[in-house]
Amino acid sequence: MAKVFIYPGTSLILSDLVARFGHRPLGAALAVREKVQTPGLDSPPLQITPEDPKKGLRYAAVEVPSGVRGRMALYGPQIEEADAGIIVRDADLAFGCMGCARTNELVRFLLHRREIPLLELTYPRSDEEGVRFVAAIKEFLAGLAGGETA
Amino acid sequence: MSPPVRIALLGCGAEYSGVMPEIYEAARQVEAEVFYPDVTLADVKAAGKSFGLDVHSADLKLMIARAEALVAGRTEADAVFIATCFRCAEAAIVRNELRRYIHEGSRLPVVSYSFTERTTSGTLLTRMEALVTIARRRALLARERQEGITLGLDSGSATTKAVIMKENEVIGTGWRPTTQVQQSADEVIALALEESGIRRSEIEATGVTGYGRFLLGNSIGADLIQEELTVNSKGAVYLADRQHGFATVIDIGGMDNKAITVQDGIPGVFTMGGICAGASGRFLEMTAKRLGIDITELGPLAMKGMGKNVPMNSYCIVFGTQSLVNALAAGNSPEDVAAAACHSVAEQVYEQQLQEVDIREPVIMVGGTSLISGLVHAMGELLQTEIVVPRYSQFIGAVGSALLASGYIRKE
Amino acid sequence: MSEAVVAGQRSVRPSVQPGTVAKYVFVDSPELTAADLALRAYEIAPAVQIKETCFGLVITGLEAEVDRLVIELRNLDPDRIFVKDRGFPPGDERRCRANLGGARPGFYGHENEMKLVRYISSGLRALRDPKKADLLRAKPKKQDEPLSPERLQEIIEES
Repeated sequence: MAKVFIYPGTSLILSDLVARFGHRPLGAALAVREKVQTPGLDSPPLQITPEDPKKGLRYAAVEVPSGVRGRMALYGPQIEEADAGIIVRDADLAFGCMGCARTNELVRFLLHRREIPLLELTYPRSDEEGVRFVAAIKEFLAGLAGGETA
Repeated sequence: MSPPVRIALLGCGAEYSGVMPEIYEAARQVEAEVFYPDVTLADVKAAGKSFGLDVHSADLKLMIARAEALVAGRTEADAVFIATCFRCAEAAIVRNELRRYIHEGSRLPVVSYSFTERTTSGTLLTRMEALVTIARRRALLARERQEGITLGLDSGSATTKAVIMKENEVIGTGWRPTTQVQQSADEVIALALEESGIRRSEIEATGVTGYGRFLLGNSIGADLIQEELTVNSKGAVYLADRQHGFATVIDIGGMDNKAITVQDGIPGVFTMGGICAGASGRFLEMTAKRLGIDITELGPLAMKGMGKNVPMNSYCIVFGTQSLVNALAAGNSPEDVAAAACHSVAEQVYEQQLQEVDIREPVIMVGGTSLISGLVHAMGELLQTEIVVPRYSQFIGAVGSALLASGYIRKE
Repeated sequence: MSEAVVAGQRSVRPSVQPGTVAKYVFVDSPELTAADLALRAYEIAPAVQIKETCFGLVITGLEAEVDRLVIELRNLDPDRIFVKDRGFPPGDERRCRANLGGARPGFYGHENEMKLVRYISSGLRALRDPKKADLLRAKPKKQDEPLSPERLQEIIEES
């Protein structure tokens, strides 16, 4: 089972397909769950504290806005951990954890820099595109170590 | 108990900066409730086109859609708090345009703020409190005349001021540098009482503002404890006799600056800055000290100089002052250095605060620094307008408190 | 739903302990509603917490239990049921609409993708029909080719 970073990190579609084809999707939900389940934090709503933007300094300099660095504290470790990535390029309506265009640019850049297998596509807008979208993802995932062929 | 004031939050990045608890806490302290205006995905998709600002970040699109819902009246709110990440250019454009859009399209008071992960509830408290005051105390803020005998106290970070007013006239004042909050207050009250010839027991109502307002308000049993944004803007338009229509109030204080767009005596848009000492009265104090003159002499000296003769590399109170020292060593006149210092403070306030409000004439300068003529002149040059400095402008918070406190006099 | 509290009150504590997970199970089918799904879920795993949402269910419980239930539910309509992890437990006051005043940001993202899942369903169906899949995949993607000078000449001459 490979760890596949999904972009947008909040995507239902990518999360479903990666898990359906036998791999582990890395995205916003897992990062937020870890925060929410950490005892002792008291920083609603996401349990992100002012310490997180400081942790984000590993990925972006201090002159980068705190919201970017705080988000990077969620995604940065996942990008480092990922064995592969799937990027939907036209994810313009992903909010919250993916709601900042500057963070998203950095996330995509860091994914490319890792030189892991990456699949880039756009959202399907027709049945035909849906078929190509699903088939491309299945084929990509099947090529990763530990994937299912079903 | 009255229902909480509902403050609509238009924000981007706050949840990821760890500052949401600070926003909630500031709201809780002033018995307000922060909420997100509800919109649909269709509203968000349409927002770019209808508002005309097609930004890239989805959370900023969401902010625009939420602002449109407020202006269109689809969501009810008492006030609006706009908060985005410090140093984000995309968000700064949205923040400024939404602030203007809401101000022009509704009667909702708006405050905008750019936060870092270091922003605390204490920093936000005065702003939230002002929003609540405007929402809850419109009737009180409508007062245009002082009645009876009232005491106004302004416990500022640098100085403590008191005035006593009687039947719409200031009859006594007191001023002291703030050392210990209570002691300084006692001293200025004594001074004001002495000048006015009034006995403490004759005072019918008391109002307190400034940093020390909560401590003093409780200890002296004040009738009115109110933040300085609403008090000062009320005091400014009262003293300048501009109680109707628009005005802009600028108050460069010892520790923070206030810039307020006022309509009929009530703040519509306001901002406070308190990060850089280079944009405060402290910078001018340092300059006066370095020039070996009293702060009261700095303004007239600056009026005789040419600021642009002195190269200033920084607004910083350390490095900017160093530029001034270097200029003196290089043979620049004290007049030019004084003028450069005034220009430096005015320019930083202009660049950092005044961009967050709408400048509407007349522009009224208040607070202790408004007595530094060189600073007022520099600001007037930057804004291309004649600045109004009313009498008693240095007592602005105290006058505003005394004026508003008369609303608490119990009629026999 | 948890009891209503003022948004952001500091009394909030994580109500889902480490080891437990929450997952969305969304359905986009004319034959299966969220209520049907909930009913079936209660039958399969009565110990797991189940909550209906706009697009389906949120199920919460021990990871193994939730995963077992997800597999069973997915079998009801494999091409039209979609599953995703959720960071927050259901009804968490930090994310609950009742407390925030408006929808949390993630809701809009789901709404956007739920408009597209029918194409994913087509893609999943096609996986079981290799002929159709090959046919569709073989079709070149429609692209707006730039008009060649020769073709432009032809058009001018034809008109």
